[in-house]
Amino acid sequence: MQIALAGNPNSGKTTLFNGITGKIEHVGNWPGVTVARKEGRVKSHLCPTRETIQVVDLPGAYSMSPYTSEESITRDFVKEEAPDVIINIVDATSLSRSLFFTSQLLEIGIPTVVALNKRDLKHKKEMTVDTGLLSDRLGCPVVEVAAISGEGFADLVKTAHEVLGRGQKAPFEGPDPATASEEAVKAGDKARFDFVQQLVAEVETRKTESQKQTRQDALDRVVAHKILGIPVFALILYGVFSLSQSTIGPPIADYLVGWIDAFYGYVEGLMGTGIHPLLSALLLDGIIGGVGAIVGFLPLIMVLFFLLALLEDSGYMARVAVVMDPYLKKVGLSGRSIIPMVISTGCAIPGVMATRTIRDERQRRTTALLTPFMPCGAKLPVIALFAGVFFADAAWVGTSMYFLAIGVVILGALVIRKITGDTSKSNYFIMELPEYRLPSLKRAYVAMMSQGRAFVAKAMTIILISNALVHVMQTFTWRFQVVGEGMTDASILAGLAGPISWIMIPLGFGIWQLAAAAVTGFIAKENVVGTLAVVFGITNFIDTEELVLISGSESVAGIMGLTSMAALAYLVFNLFTPPCFAAIGAMNAEFESRAWLLGAVGFQLGMGYTLAYLIYQVGTLVTTGSFGAGVVGGLAGIGLFVGTIYYLIRKREREDLEVLEGVA
Amino acid sequence: MENTCGNRWFRRRERKGCREVAVPKDLTGAKFNESYEIQGIETENQAMADFLFTLGCYEGQRVHVLSALGDNYVIHIKGARYSIDRALARAIRI
Repeated sequence: MQIALAGNPNSGKTTLFNGITGKIEHVGNWPGVTVARKEGRVKSHLCPTRETIQVVDLPGAYSMSPYTSEESITRDFVKEEAPDVIINIVDATSLSRSLFFTSQLLEIGIPTVVALNKRDLKHKKEMTVDTGLLSDRLGCPVVEVAAISGEGFADLVKTAHEVLGRGQKAPFEGPDPATASEEAVKAGDKARFDFVQQLVAEVETRKTESQKQTRQDALDRVVAHKILGIPVFALILYGVFSLSQSTIGPPIADYLVGWIDAFYGYVEGLMGTGIHPLLSALLLDGIIGGVGAIVGFLPLIMVLFFLLALLEDSGYMARVAVVMDPYLKKVGLSGRSIIPMVISTGCAIPGVMATRTIRDERQRRTTALLTPFMPCGAKLPVIALFAGVFFADAAWVGTSMYFLAIGVVILGALVIRKITGDTSKSNYFIMELPEYRLPSLKRAYVAMMSQGRAFVAKAMTIILISNALVHVMQTFTWRFQVVGEGMTDASILAGLAGPISWIMIPLGFGIWQLAAAAVTGFIAKENVVGTLAVVFGITNFIDTEELVLISGSESVAGIMGLTSMAALAYLVFNLFTPPCFAAIGAMNAEFESRAWLLGAVGFQLGMGYTLAYLIYQVGTLVTTGSFGAGVVGGLAGIGLFVGTIYYLIRKREREDLEVLEGVA
Repeated sequence: MENTCGNRWFRRRERKGCREVAVPKDLTGAKFNESYEIQGIETENQAMADFLFTLGCYEGQRVHVLSALGDNYVIHIKGARYSIDRALARAIRI
């Protein structure tokens, strides 16, 4: 038996889905969190029989005629894949809108149960819904639930099981959109709204009108203010990043690293001297050292995810979109573009997928191209490592990377608009404003644990294998002989990364070890830290003695042999080159265009290279009075990047001109 | 619509006086917390008009403006609140 969950955006479908399946899909208090269908199984204690029940969570939709691409997923699923039962989640506070979609769902003929999500009814108490009457009029069962607390779930699943196999009669039938004329469909839909209006008048009683201004509006006056909203947003971001990276995160990380060190010592002692030194080196330095270097940063990432979950739960995200809209419009994006970017500070893959709620194709693709520039959780260890090793004030460097990212996004948006031209004719903005609510610590905890687990799982698989390979490639020469003392340049890894490091001389870090780390970063960005730990033989980036992030900062910096400007350039290079392969894959799926994918990866490579070049060369000029190595050679690379962009802009302008002449 | 109310920098103060005489034609001129009947959606963007329809925002329906902050208007239609920009507020004729 298969149940589909359908309903308006932000009505609580995924919260209900998580509740009845025990899954931990991403939820948030704004419309458009779910952009793809998710499947799961109903928990066995909720099932009335032994039969397993499949549930499909669908993206929110306002009607059967989709406006954005993720809405069409919902329509296509219920129409073409014919689930056995539909559970239609209805927000009890906006019945007169929600039941429009309900009446369309009832027309399909699949047995339907309405789940009346009464989440706001309780504290408001000034409205009641006669569920018995509603059920009568709709011709389907109506079950009251509270998705957040889990009330009514057993009843809901039982009811869904009961209606299985029954037909469904529609309380209102409109003309068939496939055959009827456009006017007839329009008239039918108006009649449908009239039907809903009448129905709501019968079943709902409201004591006070909900359209009066509330305390929420007073809060919005500050938070969503055109000018004030910007510093509020900046302050909140600063709070999130500095709490995770310098206040709460590092002390916990410090504690964790002590455990990892103890484990390293324990394994070392366990192996004794009976094991071949190559094998023990692989295990200790390659695997435990490399993975441990990353897992040490886990607390920073978990704090970040916890705070992001609180932010998403509060209802603030929709306001950020409102505040940013006029500014983002000026660079050819829309207010909705900010949501993928905030999500990307956790992980770029859901960030890129979140662009589906942007209707305009050019804006959507541009956002998908730019959103991976936001430093994600996997890049956080890289930031924390470099900020700690080379800069005393870690908080300042870390947070400034996020604001630099925003600057890069704005610059990138302007350049891309020049290349593609602004194709959006009327750039309207509309966003449903969810009610603010006190974010739940429990939900944030659950989200944090789930993300933390995923991070550890990744460290134990992809990153562990990468580190082991890096270690092996570093240990052996091309003839599979052990690299001799002081002959590290003869290793396979040095041979592979050497040519790449030439390109990086103008950026200040033309060392094969750093080039190798940058390349493994494309597999997963955490690898940058893991590879550095392996190739430089550093096992502990975080001090266990004091609450200083890095053990012997100067010694780590000394081993790498970098100036602080070169280190900053290396950090920026790793943050602003293309993201990991998985995120590139997500970009590919959203672009649906080879040209955009190639252009995007080229643009990201060029952007990372240019930024690193500028930081290193200008920084070196300021600090030492002369340019760094390879200043001329690097200009050639940047010339190629800028030249290509210039050519593309001119090409588009010529085409525009031809179109104009054609019209004349 | 805007210029009838004088200098935009003093709009807030002058608007009050203005409203007495000018009957608002679209949501940018609407009084707060007053119910208006939508006369129509005036836009070349048919997809947006269709989308507004699914929210219950079409001729004959009631709409409230709850607040206006810069270019953002918070409106209330059929039990739900939305933030819209000035361009869209101008497209909704009342």
